[in-house]
Amino acid sequence: MSREDEPVNHHCENARSLVPSYLDGELSEEQAGPLRNHLLACPSCREVAKEGKNLGRWFSKARAGAPVLVAPPGFAARVTQLAFAGVAPGAAVSPETAAETDRAPRLAPVRGTRSRPLLPFLLAFTAVAATALFFLALAVRQRALPPGGSIEAGTRVPWVQPDDSEVRPEPSLEEPDEEPEEASRDQ
Amino acid sequence: MEPAAREDLSLVDETLEGNQLSFQLLVERYQGRLFGLVRHYTRNAAQAEDIVQDTFLKAYRRLDTFQRQSSFSTWLYRIAVNTALDFLKRSGRSPVLSVEDPELIRPTPSPGLGAPDARLHQEEVARITHEVLDELPEIFRTVLVLREFEEMSYQDMADLLGISIGTIESRLFRARARFKDTLLRLHPEFGNS
Repeated sequence: MSREDEPVNHHCENARSLVPSYLDGELSEEQAGPLRNHLLACPSCREVAKEGKNLGRWFSKARAGAPVLVAPPGFAARVTQLAFAGVAPGAAVSPETAAETDRAPRLAPVRGTRSRPLLPFLLAFTAVAATALFFLALAVRQRALPPGGSIEAGTRVPWVQPDDSEVRPEPSLEEPDEEPEEASRDQ
Repeated sequence: MEPAAREDLSLVDETLEGNQLSFQLLVERYQGRLFGLVRHYTRNAAQAEDIVQDTFLKAYRRLDTFQRQSSFSTWLYRIAVNTALDFLKRSGRSPVLSVEDPELIRPTPSPGLGAPDARLHQEEVARITHEVLDELPEIFRTVLVLREFEEMSYQDMADLLGISIGTIESRLFRARARFKDTLLRLHPEFGNS
């Protein structure tokens, strides 16, 4: 290798190291300008750039022909639900596993809201109160029963017994049957 | 700061305050890009969905650690790449195929590579390209995917991978050389005559 070649080789070595960045559009104009001039003047470096472009064409064509993978419908909502339920990464995809608890990120508390939900507490209180009322009603009814513990027809229950002065004699059920017999005798 | 990046930061802040809808909006903004990225690591739709879901769950859990030194998209991509590589490791695919350190291997001279034949359909080119990518060490596959398919800048790649731009350039150079060698080994018909 002659001394005359050394500067060219040095330039070529430097140019070839810049070709990939040049093809990627990553060089500034101050760097790209001298490189373009060298490529115009140097066939071997021009060949290196051409091969770089060929490889780039493989990728651009592959980019155009790559199969498209899209998110399935409802993916974002499902992932959000899992995240806020504290499901750890690596858990099953099924939303039914959302009950798994794990460390949650340290979130800032939301201003003006309670951390404990109110509705379940109200529902539980209502259920307890209803149960207590039911048993209270049973207890009161049991106290009102006569000895023997059963109620027969005609037995008056003390808490519904009316005032005697308001009781009217009940009509007899047998009176209407006697009148038709007298009418038929006259005829 | 670009409007999109500002919107991302607003959604991040709202998510940290417990706003579920804001996180869902973040997922909707990036699910397409992440599925596009992950398809280069697996062509199985169910596995891709697992990887993307895991990425978002990890992002949610670590959201309070996002320091905003990079953009949210770069931070999210970093989680996605690591999650995809972890997935490959769990499924039995070693991150580095060869025992040699790919950073130390000088590419051997090989025949030139021609441009893809115009008669080759782009789907066939995509299939062949991914066949070659599957043969590469993950350290090379990742830089090629980020550069050639995600069209990321060197700076974004450096931020994502936590390495210098000089290392990106060096790694890309070796990755492309290895890609070309592997392509010609698997398909010598594509070499320059």
